[in-house]
Amino acid sequence: MTRVLLSELTKTYPGTAAPALDRLTLDVPSGELIALLGPSGCGKTTTMKMIAGLLEPTSGDITFDGRSILWEKPENRGVVMVFQNYLLFPYMSVADNVGFGLRMRKVPKDQIAARVTEMLALVKLPDLGRRRPSELSGGQQQRVALARALIVQPKVLLLDEPLSNLDAHLRIEMRDLIRGIQKDLGITTIFVTHDHEEAVVLADRVALILNGQLRQYEVPDAFYRRPADAEVAAFFGGKNVLPGVSAHGTFDGPLGRLTLPDGARPGPGLLTFRPESVRIGPAPVNALKARVSERLYLGSRTRLRLTVGETVVDAVLSPDLVEGIRPGDEITINLPPGSLWIMAGTR
Amino acid sequence: MSDRMRIALLLAPAMTVIVVLFFGGLAVGVMRSFNWMPVIGLTEPNLDAYRAVLSDPDFLRSFGLTLYISITSTLISAVIAIAAALLLRQSFAGRGAINLLFQLNLTVPHIVGAIGVLYLFSQSGFFARMAFHIGLIARPAEFPALVFDPFAIGIILQYVWKEVPFIGVIVLAQMQALGTDYESVARSLGASRWQAFRHVLLPLILPGVLSASIIVFAFTFGAYEVPLLLGASHPQALPVLAYKTYTDVDLAARPEAMAMAVVIALLSALMIWAYLRATRARLRS
Repeated sequence: MTRVLLSELTKTYPGTAAPALDRLTLDVPSGELIALLGPSGCGKTTTMKMIAGLLEPTSGDITFDGRSILWEKPENRGVVMVFQNYLLFPYMSVADNVGFGLRMRKVPKDQIAARVTEMLALVKLPDLGRRRPSELSGGQQQRVALARALIVQPKVLLLDEPLSNLDAHLRIEMRDLIRGIQKDLGITTIFVTHDHEEAVVLADRVALILNGQLRQYEVPDAFYRRPADAEVAAFFGGKNVLPGVSAHGTFDGPLGRLTLPDGARPGPGLLTFRPESVRIGPAPVNALKARVSERLYLGSRTRLRLTVGETVVDAVLSPDLVEGIRPGDEITINLPPGSLWIMAGTR
Repeated sequence: MSDRMRIALLLAPAMTVIVVLFFGGLAVGVMRSFNWMPVIGLTEPNLDAYRAVLSDPDFLRSFGLTLYISITSTLISAVIAIAAALLLRQSFAGRGAINLLFQLNLTVPHIVGAIGVLYLFSQSGFFARMAFHIGLIARPAEFPALVFDPFAIGIILQYVWKEVPFIGVIVLAQMQALGTDYESVARSLGASRWQAFRHVLLPLILPGVLSASIIVFAFTFGAYEVPLLLGASHPQALPVLAYKTYTDVDLAARPEAMAMAVVIALLSALMIWAYLRATRARLRS
């Protein structure tokens, strides 16, 4: 169990003016599974490589349980990184790949063999030890890479886009496997991804990095319900962002006067709510007349584009709730006060 | 006219030259090595020449020397080439200049390199004179024999100088294609710098190193001009011995020369076969 603390971690690559990572401070509690989320080029992989010791920070510090590890060589840090493209050694069997870390530590052969069998069982790939990596599917290769990392009992596990290369059903299987193993072994784990869905399904907490800076660090749900600002909301697919003024529990904006939940931030701000929070039908508060301008069937959900006066409102609803609603129809919608959130900014 | 015919017809002039000159020459050589030379009345093919050559201590000594030269130059070249490639794949100031210098001698012919070695390293050469001027040696003969010497140091020096860039360029390209991620994985799994090289990078570049080394080995085994210029007079490298035997006033020695040439050709063919196998293994992985 290791608590990882990044303080003011900065990396500027030679020949570039803007830092790839700008004073990132992040406290990763022991045994948690954290996502570093951001678009490509936002500095996430740079952060991972600095934790692993493969890259030197320009300034700042990294501590494990309060002790700086910047001067430790990569092989002595107890950090293992699993790359996105797995990078299994192609000329070795699966078993030799998994046992690699122990061979480097000169562990006796019979012990290695026993641990390899144990690890392959852990990632649910028994009996594949003799195969070559090229004979395995992508999902299997990833599990071998995971077993190869876990066999050395790392203090900190780093995963680079662990679910990106997998198709939908494998993603769920892999997520369950990673979460299960991570919770069982209690390894502090940090993974990077550019896909917010991957981040929220896997992580205990998500750290969103935009332009090399940490923008929000919270449980996954918060990014949907309480985004820090309009950019964060946009990154998570939030389309309903409206300017206005919040005062005494109400918000005056393009949709008229709306009732806010208790404790809403007062003053000028941006109102946001998830498309999934829009309800159909009348209600005592926050009921609005809307015209349906577009209807898009998404399979398990239906997306409606509505106009309230001049304002566009995006709604995502269960298909059976919108049966019979056609573009051009006038309907009543309501916004439950608990789903409204005021962010700083005026757009 | 069909496309096939046209292609065949267009290729015919080049193919004729290759077939007549190369395979024709090879066929004549092989026939003569079997003592089949109707022009001077030898019409009964036999293995006399091979028997004579293979039981001749001079031939065996030359064969041994040539093998020693080829193996030593190939090994030294490969080791230096890998070290140079490891250095050159990192970015540092002046890398471009060093890279250029590294590849420059790819364009210099072997014979020019051999003359360079002669001027620099012989007992009357540049380094010997320098040593004399600063008083390290009193007479030219005190300078260590690096040319015309029994250990073929001059020859090996020339081959190493010439072949390091050849292997190096191939290995460097391979390293750059691989990137450093595999080594990063190894390091984070607990491998030291050396272990990451020994257990991960080296096996990954080995096919390339091997195929380049095989080419170098086959070339150095069959090359004539460098050992002729820089070699001792006895024993001589195999290609030199073969040529000398071929130009002997005694026409009866020609089958033996051809037998030697066939031995060299067979060994080269074996190397090419090994090369093809090595590259195919690389394509598979």
